Amino acid sequence: MSTAESTIAFSDPYRLGNRGPNLARGHGGGGPASKRVIVGYGFWLFLLSDIVIFACLFAAYAVLADAIADGPRARDIYDLKRVALETACLLASSFFCGLATIAVARRNQFLTQAALAATGLLGFAFLLLEASEFSGLYALGDGPTRSGFLTGFFTLVGCHGVHVTAGLLWLGTMMAQFFAKGFRPDIRRRFLCFSMFWHFLDIVWVAIFSLVYLVGTRL
Amino acid sequence: MLGKLGWDAIPFDQPIPLVAGAVVMLVLLGVAAWVVIKGWAPYLWKEWITSVDHKHIGVMYILLGLVMLLRGFTDAIMMRSQQVLAFHAQGYLPPEHYDQIFSAHGTLMILFGAMPLVIGLMNFVIPLQLGVRDVAFPTLNSVSFWLTATGALLINISLVVGEFSRVGWLPYPPLSELRYSPSVGVDYYLWAVQISGIGTLLTGVNFVTTILKIRAPGMTYLRMPMFCWTALASCMLIIAAFPVLTATLAMLTLDRYLGFHFFTNEAGGNPMMFVNLIWCWAHPEVYILILPAFGIFSEVVPTFSSKPLFGYRSMVAATLFICVVAFCVWLHHFFTMGAGADVNAVFGIASSIIAVGTGVKMYNWLFTMYGGRIRFATPMLWSLGFMTTFITGGLTGVLLAVPPADFLLHNSMFLVAHFHHVIVGGVIFGVFAGITYWWPKAFGFRLHEGWGKAGFWCALAGFYVTFVPLYITGVLGMTRRLQHYDVAEWRPWIMVAALGVVILIVGAACQVMQIVVSVKHRNELRDTTGDPWDGRSLEWATPSPPPVFNFAVLPQVQGAEAYWDVKQRAREALRLGQEPHYEAIEMPRNSATGFVCAFFATIIGFALIWYIWWLAIVGLVGAYATFVIFAWRDVPEYEIPPDEVARIDRANRGVRQQALLGASA
Amino acid sequence: MSNADVHILEYEGDDKGGASDEHSAKLGTYILGVGLAVLLTAASFWIAKTDLIYGPGIPVALATLAIAQMGIHLVFFLHLTTAPDNTNNVLALAFGLMVVCLVVFGSVWIMAHLNHNLMPMSHLMQMQR
Repeated sequence: MSTAESTIAFSDPYRLGNRGPNLARGHGGGGPASKRVIVGYGFWLFLLSDIVIFACLFAAYAVLADAIADGPRARDIYDLKRVALETACLLASSFFCGLATIAVARRNQFLTQAALAATGLLGFAFLLLEASEFSGLYALGDGPTRSGFLTGFFTLVGCHGVHVTAGLLWLGTMMAQFFAKGFRPDIRRRFLCFSMFWHFLDIVWVAIFSLVYLVGTRL
Repeated sequence: MLGKLGWDAIPFDQPIPLVAGAVVMLVLLGVAAWVVIKGWAPYLWKEWITSVDHKHIGVMYILLGLVMLLRGFTDAIMMRSQQVLAFHAQGYLPPEHYDQIFSAHGTLMILFGAMPLVIGLMNFVIPLQLGVRDVAFPTLNSVSFWLTATGALLINISLVVGEFSRVGWLPYPPLSELRYSPSVGVDYYLWAVQISGIGTLLTGVNFVTTILKIRAPGMTYLRMPMFCWTALASCMLIIAAFPVLTATLAMLTLDRYLGFHFFTNEAGGNPMMFVNLIWCWAHPEVYILILPAFGIFSEVVPTFSSKPLFGYRSMVAATLFICVVAFCVWLHHFFTMGAGADVNAVFGIASSIIAVGTGVKMYNWLFTMYGGRIRFATPMLWSLGFMTTFITGGLTGVLLAVPPADFLLHNSMFLVAHFHHVIVGGVIFGVFAGITYWWPKAFGFRLHEGWGKAGFWCALAGFYVTFVPLYITGVLGMTRRLQHYDVAEWRPWIMVAALGVVILIVGAACQVMQIVVSVKHRNELRDTTGDPWDGRSLEWATPSPPPVFNFAVLPQVQGAEAYWDVKQRAREALRLGQEPHYEAIEMPRNSATGFVCAFFATIIGFALIWYIWWLAIVGLVGAYATFVIFAWRDVPEYEIPPDEVARIDRANRGVRQQALLGASA
Repeated sequence: MSNADVHILEYEGDDKGGASDEHSAKLGTYILGVGLAVLLTAASFWIAKTDLIYGPGIPVALATLAIAQMGIHLVFFLHLTTAPDNTNNVLALAFGLMVVCLVVFGSVWIMAHLNHNLMPMSHLMQMQR
């Protein structure tokens, strides 16, 4: 890591100086926000767009829920014990991500890496459980090509799984960046985005286990 | 090894695409050779291709949009001429080819013509109007542009390698499923639109963040220029609607590639669900296009009426109203498909209500002009042409919003005439008004007025001569997308429409001449002060073209028309305000990330279209590596020293001071 | 671009301003959040198993618990508050939720009508029997 010739520490590119955190008077006249607020808000908007994608997949699942085409129904294939385990893994993973946020705020490298590792391992456990569910169904011939209902199910739950996979890749990159470059402001901003993403995945999972699995076994 | 790709993919047996493709490739090679020989390649790479400057990205978007507009226009010429010839005859375009042409025409015009033009204008203008240096995420901005270019590239490749989709600009299943469209055409469409859709979504995120979080000090929400408000609403719609497109096209892609059953006829698929979801996207899409155009008119009309915009708050309210109701009307695109009277009634009423927002805006523009001193420069002509054309086009839309009427007119030429009426009259006229208005700011010289006015009048006349006959054929029963017909009643109107296309060709030629002549005579048309139109908003406070940092010092905004107040005070005092204290400015460094990302996206898209799986994986790995390399850089910004800032700003201040004194003498 | 003297700077120093969400990352918040989430999850699983709740009301109960738990996540993990610096975030969320509701409920409503009106004759006959 090379050092700068100049000792000027610029983190406020619009050079408005320190106007304090989040100077919000409600009319928006405070000038450009800080970089952290800008990045956080932009990523929040991106997450909202992701929510709309999931909404479409939920709508498709709801419309296709009855299209079982003499294949299995929902309550024939949903294993609530495994779902409970998956839920526990993801919720615990979110909790450890929260712990990692605290560790980053305290600039503690060891705790950060430990908490992120726990986040990742629990996320990976979730993926293994889901993969076993999918491969089990596929082996029985009840894969996504069997009926409209199974198409909707595999795509909705699978899309969440793809997001978790991408999140784990991102997590690995974040761990490497913290290790290699320390707690630089730009890396902390990226971690803010990652933690928002990870909690968002747990929120989507709440909708999935409630409205897909639990409702499915009772209808 | 190469999937489905083989020599048979090249249309050696079809002269028209073969010759067209060969000509395009020769032109491209010629341009590339000219650039390299003249030694401009390093300049292009450093200043344009790797640029993260919103002004350069905006210009590139507009260039892309104009080129694709011309290609879509060529498709239109072919369709109109085919219909002139194809009465009791086959014409010169066989059905398979004609189907590709109308599909490409719609896709190109909306997604690769109108969208880039609108986004390009937003890119160039918004940071300048907000009084700031760039958008929230400059490198992401570059990625957005290059991904859009990737989509356009893939569609153009389909001209010579394989074929394009034949199922229309919205690929309705089951026709678009693998069973009924086994060739690569629909796949070209799917991947081109998906990849560019990602770019557009990122643009939406970028601009909502910029407009809400990055404005000059003192610029409260209700002091923003109207163009910023409409851009905000449009980008909010992008964030909300484009994911629906992504999800729906992904479902169709899964059906085609992995045998899923979202929209198939067998095993429980539901083809109508595609129609429902795709219009959930496509209706907000047209508002995404028109809202920035409304914003452009809200800038042009006050400037050339020498009066502030009438009813600013009601304009803001109308814009947000349109933004929300845009999500409540989508079923009016498929009234006839069996949802029943209750559902049709709800959406029909909502479709009529949404016209109120536009009505409020129209009255505000009219009241802005009333009592003003109007200058009929080219941008103002485009605005006046818009007002009459969009009102009449909108009225035909309100007619179609009545379900019983729509049962007769759905998918007829009446519908085709209606949507061209509003898109051409609204979006295209708006884009041309914006280009003519902001061209001096971007390039430092005005466009030639004479050729501009000729282009406008030809466009206006040509538009009506082309599309009014099509309304009539629609009412006479003609459906859309006909490769041939045998109803004698329609023929004279189709021929008049072809005459209209000739007028439009003349108009397009005038527009091209306008640019050529203006570049040639740019010294006579030079904009020295940076304020050629006596503008009212902050972009006119910068030199033309603005320096990379836009403003030497961020302006302190104190009123609704930020620049106008400052200018009036200077005019009264015959002096510019005090020279500011110049400090060093940080700007983001250029980056090849956008271009490299798009390179890998092209590889991924092409590989997936032709089933070359190993190549797709290579592309994905490359794309991920690009992100990581970008994330790993240590030096994201560079500094411009205060002396340099001062030098640039003092030069402009000198010219403006001269102009002040000159004007008063 | 200007022919400016390019003076490269590095990222150093703290990001001043906007650090409030780093300060709000307290251990107690996360523990309370995860505790409430566990309670709501357990309640959901219990409702799905038991017969104590009126059958047709179960989907509504599950949806309500899901919404509550999503709210817990938003407040305790994502630190979404009603403070004035959070207004933009809340407004964006509200807009997104409005779109989600319109798309999901609108689509389900429309598709239900379409399916009913366009039912193939064979299905209709099956339903009559």
